[in-house]
Amino acid sequence: MKPAGLRARFLRQKGTLVGLALVLALMAFAAAGPWVSGHDPFASDFQRGIAGELPVGPSREFWLGTDRIYRDQLVRLAYGARLSLLIGLMATAIASVIGGAVGIVAGFFEGGRGLRIPWLSVAAFVASVALLPRSIPLSLGLFGAAVIGVLAAQITGKAPLGAFELNLDQSLMSFVDVGLSFPFMLLVMAVGASFEHTSVTTILVTLGLTGWLGTARIVRAKTLEVRNREFVLAARALGQSTPRILVMHVLPNVRGPLLAIATLSVAQMILAESVLSYVGAGVSPPTPTWGHMLFEGQEVFGAAPWLFLGPAGFILIAVFGFNLLGEGLRHALDRSDR
Amino acid sequence: MRSTVAIASTLLLGCSSELPAPLPQGHPDDATPRRGGVLQTATFGDIRSLDPANLGDGLAPQLVQLIYAGLVDYDRDGNIVPDLAERYEIDPSGTRYRFFLRHGVRFHDGEELTAEDVRRSFRRSLARKTPNAAKSFYFTIQGAEDYANGKADDIAGLKVEDTYIVSFLLKEPDATFLPVLSLQAVRPVCRSAGDAFSADFFPCGTGPFKLQSWRPGERVSLIRHDGYFRPGLPYLDGVEFTIGVSMLAQRLKFESGALDLFRDILQPDLLRYRKDPRWTPYGAYDPASQMAGEGMNVEMAPFDNVELRRAVSSAIDREQYRLVKPTMLHALTQPVPQGVRGHNPNLVCQKYDEAAALEHMRRAGYAYDPVTKTGGYPRAIPYYAYPAGVTEYTSQVLAQQLARIGIRLDLRLVSYAAWLAITHRRGQAAFSYQGWKSDYSDPSNFTETLFHSSAINDEDTNNPSFYANPKLDAMLDAAHKEMDGPKRAGMYDTIQQFICDEAPWAFTYSVSFYNVWQPYVRGYKPHPMWQNEVRETWLDRPGTGRGAQASGRMGHGKEALLSPARSLPRDP
Repeated sequence: MKPAGLRARFLRQKGTLVGLALVLALMAFAAAGPWVSGHDPFASDFQRGIAGELPVGPSREFWLGTDRIYRDQLVRLAYGARLSLLIGLMATAIASVIGGAVGIVAGFFEGGRGLRIPWLSVAAFVASVALLPRSIPLSLGLFGAAVIGVLAAQITGKAPLGAFELNLDQSLMSFVDVGLSFPFMLLVMAVGASFEHTSVTTILVTLGLTGWLGTARIVRAKTLEVRNREFVLAARALGQSTPRILVMHVLPNVRGPLLAIATLSVAQMILAESVLSYVGAGVSPPTPTWGHMLFEGQEVFGAAPWLFLGPAGFILIAVFGFNLLGEGLRHALDRSDR
Repeated sequence: MRSTVAIASTLLLGCSSELPAPLPQGHPDDATPRRGGVLQTATFGDIRSLDPANLGDGLAPQLVQLIYAGLVDYDRDGNIVPDLAERYEIDPSGTRYRFFLRHGVRFHDGEELTAEDVRRSFRRSLARKTPNAAKSFYFTIQGAEDYANGKADDIAGLKVEDTYIVSFLLKEPDATFLPVLSLQAVRPVCRSAGDAFSADFFPCGTGPFKLQSWRPGERVSLIRHDGYFRPGLPYLDGVEFTIGVSMLAQRLKFESGALDLFRDILQPDLLRYRKDPRWTPYGAYDPASQMAGEGMNVEMAPFDNVELRRAVSSAIDREQYRLVKPTMLHALTQPVPQGVRGHNPNLVCQKYDEAAALEHMRRAGYAYDPVTKTGGYPRAIPYYAYPAGVTEYTSQVLAQQLARIGIRLDLRLVSYAAWLAITHRRGQAAFSYQGWKSDYSDPSNFTETLFHSSAINDEDTNNPSFYANPKLDAMLDAAHKEMDGPKRAGMYDTIQQFICDEAPWAFTYSVSFYNVWQPYVRGYKPHPMWQNEVRETWLDRPGTGRGAQASGRMGHGKEALLSPARSLPRDP
C-alpha cells in the first residue's frame, strides 16, 4: 500500500517527470559517448574543423561545431557528460556516506555521555588533513588510524599518551556549523586549489569532503526524531548492540530524506565540478569537462557562440534535471512519512 | 537581476558581427602634421612604476618611452641612432665609447641636461639597493659589477669628460653595448630624483611628454613637454592611458570614438578588423619580439639523446600551432623571432617533416610504426606548461603531434609560479613549454642568453634545457665581440643553425599584437621596439575643426616650438 502510494505521488508531479526525462536523456547521451558523432574527442581536425581561421560552426560534419583547437564539440560534450555524471554521482555517494554516518551518530548520541578521544588520534587527524594535498592514500590511512584509535579507546578504556572527554554530538555539529559558515563554492575552490596536480580522484575528494555538511545536519534532525520511537526502544530492551540498532533501525528510517538530499546534491556537485574546471582547478586537459569548455568558449563568444552555449546548455540541463527529480522525491517522501 | 541584465546585454553586444564604418579624417588630402588634441588609449593591465630604474612589465615601458629619452634609441626602421647624444664615437679597440650630448636639452623641470646627469642616472639605476632587474646588462662597463654589488663607490668605466661629453670604458669589445644602452633602465632622470633610488620620485625626464597626473589603477595623463629637444615635436597636446579597461569595453569605446588607439583586441574582433577592407589601412602588427618553443632538458632522460630531440623538432607542425591563435602567433623555426635583429627569413632551421621525425626515432633507438602503432618511446613523458592561455592549447596540439611518432605526453598544467619554479630548476622537468621576450633587439638575446653554458643555474636558470657545449660557447663569445655588422650577422646565422640542429628547444612560434587606430590618428605605425610610440603622431579629427584649425599648420623649427597652441581635450 505504502510503496504504491509513494510511486503514485512521485509520478503525479509533472516537474518530476520532466526531471526524470532530462536525467535519463543525459545518461543516454553520456553512455553513447564517442558514438554520438564518430569523431575522436581528442583529435584536432585542422582540415575540415577550421574555416576562416576560426572553428567551424554547427554543420552536417560537426553538429555542434568544433572547439578552440578544432575538435568535435558534440563528442567532447558527451565525454564531458560522462565525467560530470561520474563526479556528480560519486561525490554525492561519498558525501552521503560521510554525512549520513556523522548525522546518525551525532543524532543518536545527542545528550549522551562523552567520548574518550586519545591525543594520538587527534595528532593523526591533524596530520591527515595536512597531508591531504600531498598524498590522498596516506591521508586516508592516517584518518583511518585516528578513527580506529578512538574506537579502541572506547572499547579498552586505555589510551597511550592520554585522552580527553568530548561530547560527540556537540563537537561534530560544531565542526559542521563552522564548515557551513563558509560559502560552499569558496570552500570547494580553496580545497581544490590546494592540490598541485588535479585529477578525477582529487576532485572527488574535494567535493566529497566539502559536500557532506548539510546532509549531516538534516540526517541528525531526522535521527533525533527516530531514536525515541518505540521500535528503537524495543530493540534496545531486547539487548541489541548500538551499531546494530543504528544500521538496522535508524538507517532505514532516515534513508528517504537521505535519498532526496542526495539527488539534489548531485546537481550541486555537477555545478561545483563545473566551477572548479572553469577556474582551472578541475581535471586537466585534454580531458573534456563542461566547466572548462565554458571557459574556452567565452573568449571567442562573439565569433563562435556555440562553444559557450553548448556546455552552458548541458550544465543547465543537468542541474535543472537533478533538481526537479530531487524536489519530486523530497515531496513524495515527505507525505509518505506523515 | 541586474547582473542578469548585464550579462544578457554583454552577450548581445558580443554577438554583433558588423564593424562600424571608420570615422573619417578631417583633412584627408593634407599630410602636413597638425598640432593639438589629446590621444586616448587604454589597457586592461596596470602599471606599478614609471621610474626607469624600476621597470615592471606590461604597460610601463611604453609610458616610460614617452617620458624619458636616452643617449641612443631605436628609429622607426629599428636602427640604433643617437637621441640625447648628438653623435657618438667608438674607438678602434671597440672598448671605448664617447657620447657628445646635444646642447640645450631640457628636463621637464627646466634644468639643462649635462654629462653629469647621465652619470648620476646611471649610478642611481645600478646602485646596490635599486630594484632594477636589468642591472647585469651593464656589467660590460668596467667597474659596473663591483659598483652594483656595493664593492666600489663608483662606476670606474663611466667618465664625465666635459659638460657635454660622457664616455664608457668596456671590459672587452661588446657588440651588444649600444642595444643595451638604448634600453630604458639608464635613461637620464631629473635632479629631483637624487642620487639614490626612491619610490616616491615623481617621474621626470627629457622625453617628449611629461607626466601630468597618475591615478593608480585608473588613468595616466601625459602632456606635451614644450622644451622637448626635437623641434616641433610632439604634435599631440597630451596622451591619456586609461587603465584596467576590459577588452570588450575597449572595443565599444573605440567604436564610439572615445579611444583613438586600441590593441587589447578580442580574437573574433581582431579577425574582423584584419579582414574588413575599410579598416585594414588602419591596423598593423607590432614586430614579433617574443617567441616560444618546447624546451627539452638535455641533462635528463630521454632528451639526453639528441636524436630524440631532433625527432620532436621534426614532428612539430608549426602551422598547426599558429592556428591555435592565428591572430597572434606566427610559425617560427629559429631562435630569433621575426621582429628582432638577427632573424633570417632565409634560414631553413628546424622544419616539420614527419618522415624525418620517424627516422630520428629509429636512430634514437625507439623506432615507431605509425601503421601498427607499435614501438616508440615506452613511457609517457611529463610535460609542464601553465593553464588558461595559449600554452594550454599548444600543449594539447603537441601531444597529438608527438603521438604520431610514438611519444606519449603526460600533460601537467600547473600554475604559472609552479611552472616557473619547476622548469627553471635543475633536474626537475625533462620537457616543458618555454618562451622568451626580447630585452633588446639583438640575436645574442635569443641565443647567448638561452643556450650559453654560463646561463645555467641550479635554480632560476636562464638556460632551461641546461644545454652546455664548449663549441657553441666559443661561437657565441666570438659573435658577442664582433663589431663588423655583416660579419656578425653571418656568425649568428651559423649559430642559429647549430642550435636548431642540436635542438635543445623545438622552436614553435613567435607572438605579436595587432594595433588598430582611428583613421584620424595620423603619422602612426607600430614602432619596431616600443608600443604606442606616438611622438610623431598627430590627430586630424573630423568636425573638431576649431581646435585643430586654431593651432594652425605646423611649421618646422623654432617658431612652432615657441608658440605651442593648445586645443582643449576632446569630449569623451
